[in-house]
Amino acid sequence: MNARTIRLASSVAFVAAMTAMGSAQMPNWPSEPPPRPLPSRPVSFPPYEIRSLANGMQVIVVMHHEQPEVSVRLLVRAGSVYDPQGKNGVATLAAALLNQGTATRSAGDIADAIDSIGGALDTGAGSDFTQASALVMKDSFDVGMELLADVVRRPVFSPEEIDRQRQQALSSLQVSLEDPDFIAGAVLQRLIYGFHPYGFPDSGMPETIAKITRADLQEFHRKYFAPNNSVLAVVGDVEVAEAMAAAQKAFGDWQKQTVQPPQLQQPPQPTRRIILIDKPDSVQTAVRIGQLGVPRKTPDYMNLDQAIRILGGEGSNRLYRVLRSERSLTYSASADMNTMLLAGDFIAETDTRSEATGEVVRLIVDEFTRLQRERTGDAELAGAQAYMTGSFPLTIETPGAIARQVLNVVMYDLSLDELRTYRQRANAVTPDDISRVARTYLQPDRLSIVMVGNAAAFKDQLQRAGFGKYELIPLEQLDLTAVDLKRR
Amino acid sequence: MMKKAAFTLLLAAALTLVPLSAAVRPPRMEYSIATLPNGLTVVLSEDHSTPIVHAELWYHVGSKDERPGRTGFAHLFEHMMFKGSKNVDPEEHASMIASIGGQSNAYTNDDTTVFWETVPSQYLPLMLWMEADRMATLRIDDATFKSEREVVKEERRLRVDNQPFGRLSEILYDTFYTVGPYKHTTIGSMKDLDAASIADVRDFHSLYYVPGNATLAVVGDFDSAQAMELVKKYFGRIPKASGAIPRDYKQEPPGTKERRVTTTENWPLPAVVVAYPITYDGHPDSYALHIASKILSDGESSRIFKSLVYDTGIAVSAFGGGNIIEQPNLFFAVALVQRGHSPADAEKALIAEFDKLRAEPVAEKELQRAKNQFFRDYIVDRESVRGKASQLAHAVVIHNDVKTADDEVEIFTNLKVSDVQRVSKTYFTQENRLVLHILPKAGAVR
Repeated sequence: MNARTIRLASSVAFVAAMTAMGSAQMPNWPSEPPPRPLPSRPVSFPPYEIRSLANGMQVIVVMHHEQPEVSVRLLVRAGSVYDPQGKNGVATLAAALLNQGTATRSAGDIADAIDSIGGALDTGAGSDFTQASALVMKDSFDVGMELLADVVRRPVFSPEEIDRQRQQALSSLQVSLEDPDFIAGAVLQRLIYGFHPYGFPDSGMPETIAKITRADLQEFHRKYFAPNNSVLAVVGDVEVAEAMAAAQKAFGDWQKQTVQPPQLQQPPQPTRRIILIDKPDSVQTAVRIGQLGVPRKTPDYMNLDQAIRILGGEGSNRLYRVLRSERSLTYSASADMNTMLLAGDFIAETDTRSEATGEVVRLIVDEFTRLQRERTGDAELAGAQAYMTGSFPLTIETPGAIARQVLNVVMYDLSLDELRTYRQRANAVTPDDISRVARTYLQPDRLSIVMVGNAAAFKDQLQRAGFGKYELIPLEQLDLTAVDLKRR
Repeated sequence: MMKKAAFTLLLAAALTLVPLSAAVRPPRMEYSIATLPNGLTVVLSEDHSTPIVHAELWYHVGSKDERPGRTGFAHLFEHMMFKGSKNVDPEEHASMIASIGGQSNAYTNDDTTVFWETVPSQYLPLMLWMEADRMATLRIDDATFKSEREVVKEERRLRVDNQPFGRLSEILYDTFYTVGPYKHTTIGSMKDLDAASIADVRDFHSLYYVPGNATLAVVGDFDSAQAMELVKKYFGRIPKASGAIPRDYKQEPPGTKERRVTTTENWPLPAVVVAYPITYDGHPDSYALHIASKILSDGESSRIFKSLVYDTGIAVSAFGGGNIIEQPNLFFAVALVQRGHSPADAEKALIAEFDKLRAEPVAEKELQRAKNQFFRDYIVDRESVRGKASQLAHAVVIHNDVKTADDEVEIFTNLKVSDVQRVSKTYFTQENRLVLHILPKAGAVR
């Protein structure tokens, strides 16, 4: 408290001194308050259509005629969370292979087809979903739709393309496993989710990627890729009737089937575990701190979202203020709430010079505690809410951004009303709500802590900072599949 | 079965026909441009599709303008612009923008320093007022300067020193150039950051952060006449600066023979770079060089991807392209070499692609594809007010002609295969070439 008062006092003096200097720079520059805003225009969520084909495929259409382009995106309800045990990476590898050969086109044919029309074709898998998307100019809309349907419905997973993609995946992972950000994120995920599939990188690990067979990929595709398990979004310079006709033509004869997701165990309850990954050539320590959170579909979602924003999000961000603005310990600091279908997490992250590591970890953990123990001030909460509600028109600027929001609601089985009521719901949260969810969901004494850096330069600080009980793992011994994270 | 095959063939024919006959072009932008008496250039473009407005203020100063011993200063200075001005407290610029739901940030590159905000449209006056305030009256304080310098050093550690391959461009540019303005990269060196002083901050602001060296582009939901009044009100009261801005950049002497350099870094895989000096942004040759970049590296049908990644698996990742900016820079290709392959193989394969561009005309179809990809880039970029503003400001600041924002589309449309071959022969020569091998340090590969 004292230190705070002194800082404040000195900064007031500093402001006075600087104002004088400002005048010297430009003597006639007026002292004045910020100008008032102009009258505002009403804004509401733009129109969209949600329809279905007879085979159960949902189709979302967002018309947007400003630029002559259309994007077509298909999401399948299957991601790395459905990777078979011990074969993490199946969803990602399957997604990477979608555009590497179909029943009628080779990988080269597909690349030629999309590149020659100046389009872009992307495929990929996340934790919960697999996606494929084609961006094309208006005059190539039909071509884009047909190509997208082909790669989603008829991939062949040819052995030589599997080898090629597997090799790519292994090499990329070799690079990622030297990247402190990737390593720290992967280790923290493992600590938070244990052996639940969310605990492993979507890409899989070298050991699990090596075990994936062609049959695994085919089975993944056969089990989950079905029209009734997919959602198509058509967005851009197109009419609804035109979009529906193209969707019907490309996907109408895709056969519906029963889809059965696997039964998964629950992630473990939070326990404090501190892991120090030693990478002696580091000049900075990647610090990641977090705990188990909640799935996306949670009644407290809005309350928690604001609590975590106060900790480290746009419009507020205590971590940024404490670590960067007040102490210059980092370039960036933030906290995020990640929410998926089955679980979620709260994570704080920053990177700091080796010498400051202990101090930074202490400060972050203290901010989790403060959020739980101290009532959030009205002004601070109002700041977070002002950002959320004010930024609404910025979130509906591009057709892609509009579609993302609609897809999010559909894929996570939320109420479509949420799009319309976003601002009201954001403004309804009170400081008491923040206190309640912080007490209910946060466990500051059970946070998992990961540091990746030059251990010799900072491990002695940890005892002093209150984190003396850590596990030290040299990077070359890291094994994400082992209980103690160490290679035998 | 027969029917299906025939259908596919027909479709394949349709695929090749569509783009050649009917490429979609980006629609032209509507805007107005004016210069205030104090020299500030203002471009306004109305876009009422969403009630937001974006402004970006480009200062025509970047890391190539830094004096010796002060590398990294332009970027460090950019950070200082968030440390308060007469009517805005330190850090308040960003927090005020956030409190109205806006986004704001800044970036520095070799040629320019750009400050931007996107806000709900009713806050246009606030945004302009804040930018004018810090152009006119930046607060400059030694303690703030020193602490912000520590933040920039963390940024360098994060983005450059602590990243696999993070130093690649720094090594390339430092190796290639002897005197040119691009010898150092924007982040600068720790030593020079430490050497910078508060006097440097003051000098830099009074020389470069003046209306005559700035271009303001505003795009979004506003009335142009009203916006122009606001611009005049807040920026018009800043006096015209008297100092002339130095633009005397040293030019690199032409190469006489191929240079080969091998060095080591703590990286997981070897990297091979092949680099050639090229011309500047806006030079007639630059457009064909842009096309060459696309042909080499845009999409999985591009030449370098096919040759080094798909067909041979020499590289985990490989690309090539021109860094076409204000002063002559480099065209370079990089391959991160896959285990089981040698840097020599990667070098050979990369050089073969440059030699092929010299020896043979590219296919008509390849050229058209590259053009279509360009049009797509323009169109996708213009979906956002930010993309539009940055295309307009770039045209003004780098080309000194706002019309190029649209007119370049015409130049691309008219390019021929012979243009691509001609520029390849001009620039991709052995005597101009640098071949750089960056190998993992012993023990770096785990």
